[in-house]
Amino acid sequence: MTEASIYIDLRFARDLYAGPAIDEAIKVFARFGEFHLSEAPDAWCLRLRALRPAMTRRLAHELANYALGLTVQRGGAT
Amino acid sequence: MSSTSALDLVALRPQAGTQAFFRHRPIGDKVLITGFEGNWLLLTREDFGRFAAGAVEAGSELHRRLVAGNFLRAEYDVRRAVAAVKARRRFLHAGPNLHIFVVTLRCNETCVYCHASRANMDQVQTDMSPEIAEKAVELALRSTSPFITIEFQGGEPLVNFPVVQHICRHASRRAQELGKQLQFTMVSNFALMDDAKLDFLIEHRVQLCTSIDGPEPLHNAQRKLPTMDAHQRAVHWIKRINQRYVDMGLDPTLYHVEALLTTTRETLPLWKQVVDTYIGLGCKALFLRPIDPFGFADRTRLRLEYPRSAYLEFYRNALDYMLELNRQGVQVLERYAGIFLTKILRGEDPNFLDLRSPAGAGIGQLAFNHDGKIFSCDEGRMLHEMGDSKFLLGDVHTSSYRDLVGHETVRAMVLASNLDGQPDCVNCTYQPYCGTIPTFNYKNQGSIFGRMRESSVCAVHKGIQDLLFEKLAAGDPAVLTAFDRWTTHRPREHFVQPTPEVQPEPSPTAEVQPPAGCDSVPL
Amino acid sequence: MQSAYPDIPPGLVAHDLTAAAVQLQLDATLYPLQAIYGAAYIFIDRCYVFLDRPRPEQVRVVLTAKGGQADPGALRALVGEFANELLSCAWRHQVTLDNRVLLETVTMQAIAGAMGQPSLDDLASFDFSDQGFDDPLGIALSWEEKHGKKAPATAVTTDTAATEPAAATPGEESAP
Repeated sequence: MTEASIYIDLRFARDLYAGPAIDEAIKVFARFGEFHLSEAPDAWCLRLRALRPAMTRRLAHELANYALGLTVQRGGAT
Repeated sequence: MSSTSALDLVALRPQAGTQAFFRHRPIGDKVLITGFEGNWLLLTREDFGRFAAGAVEAGSELHRRLVAGNFLRAEYDVRRAVAAVKARRRFLHAGPNLHIFVVTLRCNETCVYCHASRANMDQVQTDMSPEIAEKAVELALRSTSPFITIEFQGGEPLVNFPVVQHICRHASRRAQELGKQLQFTMVSNFALMDDAKLDFLIEHRVQLCTSIDGPEPLHNAQRKLPTMDAHQRAVHWIKRINQRYVDMGLDPTLYHVEALLTTTRETLPLWKQVVDTYIGLGCKALFLRPIDPFGFADRTRLRLEYPRSAYLEFYRNALDYMLELNRQGVQVLERYAGIFLTKILRGEDPNFLDLRSPAGAGIGQLAFNHDGKIFSCDEGRMLHEMGDSKFLLGDVHTSSYRDLVGHETVRAMVLASNLDGQPDCVNCTYQPYCGTIPTFNYKNQGSIFGRMRESSVCAVHKGIQDLLFEKLAAGDPAVLTAFDRWTTHRPREHFVQPTPEVQPEPSPTAEVQPPAGCDSVPL
Repeated sequence: MQSAYPDIPPGLVAHDLTAAAVQLQLDATLYPLQAIYGAAYIFIDRCYVFLDRPRPEQVRVVLTAKGGQADPGALRALVGEFANELLSCAWRHQVTLDNRVLLETVTMQAIAGAMGQPSLDDLASFDFSDQGFDDPLGIALSWEEKHGKKAPATAVTTDTAATEPAAATPGEESAP
């Protein structure tokens, strides 16, 4: 997680997180912030910030937890 | 518990090849070995060394014992092993036999360790309705088990006595129609008992259980009534009920009120007084249960809890005292020991749902809450009352029986409580006799699997079995006689609801033991 | 992140008191991914858990205390608890593989024994259009399917839940 001014960048390794889990997590938290999803060869890259800037870090943590939980429930990244 | 020096495995020079599968554990100056199917032998350390090194002389006494115990590969009797495993897993062929009906959360007592999530006496909305009760009965009787126990719990079940009566009448009629063998049990503090209620309960053959925490001062301090006489009331009705059974011509050694103990920190030094109290009340059995982490007990944990080493010392003291009493002709048994010894000495499983692999949650028992919600077990229901509904399976209005027992939560609990998949247990000498409790693991360690090395339940089970095998190794004839008596199951036919027609033929695959717990009396 | 645990070999664990976080570098050849998932999942109720792949043979786990505050002792305890759970999950993974047939047999018997045979009402309400069960042992495969040629490397996948991928842009190297 890196914090560039008011944004946080999350890098979800493709072999550790399921793409649909990340999509679902973004949908769940959509109303709390602004999200920009892009792809690298080995990862999904998510740049986000909360509507309330002070909550950005918390939003990143909660979303990442949610994505991890969904990934585990799906049985893994693939 | 006892001083047991570790085995020097390097010095043993073990050589695989001659032995059938086995696990081992030092017991005093001997070594216990158990096989896959639960067979066991106690060997001297020298004999164990020969066994482990593959150096057992053919024709020797050791060779004879190992063959007889099915521990040598060349002579391994597969059919015998298969039969033994089937006997130990007989309970798998049928569904839930124990159905807990929480007929109300209201309770007139306040107990320091209560895990029943009690409600005050004015909270009538926590009473089970007759409509919900009937639906619950229908689901319970759908079980594939030919033998059904409906256990009334609460709160205090006598508070909602009209529904208890309704269930007794309705369930008896339906059980006859469906060809099920049915019995009722009730766990009550007896403080609200009166002659009219007792007449009904006796007439309908409801087996009665109560809690006795030991001598009067301890009991009244832990189980509070506004009148501060919980012990006196319980004792009064224990004596009345026991006398009724005598008046009916029933054998008092078999038919009497069962009492249950919850061991708190205050109980630990009073092991002798506890045993004497129970014997004075005509009880033939004590179940020395340690405290568990649910409900009120969770909140008062710091005051009531204790290290499991302290509990095991209490257990040893009480057990030794009970064995001494047996030697003097006083017949009293300890249930934990009885359950383990039935598995060890008889090769049978008494179907105590918290001590089997897999555990009974969902497949051996269901818990029906006052509001119609259905849980895998009573502990799952208590967690729900504490705000965690992970073990909720459905409800009486919308769930079918197959929905409940085939629920993914039940499947997960079956997998999680199968000791063949549990680290530590796979290598544990006591694995054939033991069990784990998924809800306990979840509450204490965060997952239904748990980590046995850190589990207080595991520590208790190991400690008790260590003690029992020490006794078996010592070979005192009086102790062995008592142990044999503790594993002799005497069915209590009177508590099975009468059926006017011929008894239905039991299903050939559903050879289910009568359920353990309040009912089974190995005496 | 700063290393501050003299009782742990260097390079394996680091902590950041400001962020109330600890990082564990796990050898992926020692701990199967399923075990890492299993342990991580158990902690997501009390920690924020992030997984990362710094190198092919390594998984990095970052545990951040919820509430944003933790003293060194609490973080060290978190490391110990996670390591214990991870070991338990890894061993359970192995035990499950070793005893798979036994576990499946007992589970099937337990559920089948409890469920019993379906009634006509059960069959009437059964959804026959539902997908069949998984077939991990390949029992339902024909011999040709089981022993035929392997599928070509460029087989089309059918992940219908995935969104259309955006144009790939290099992400920044990041550590949570």
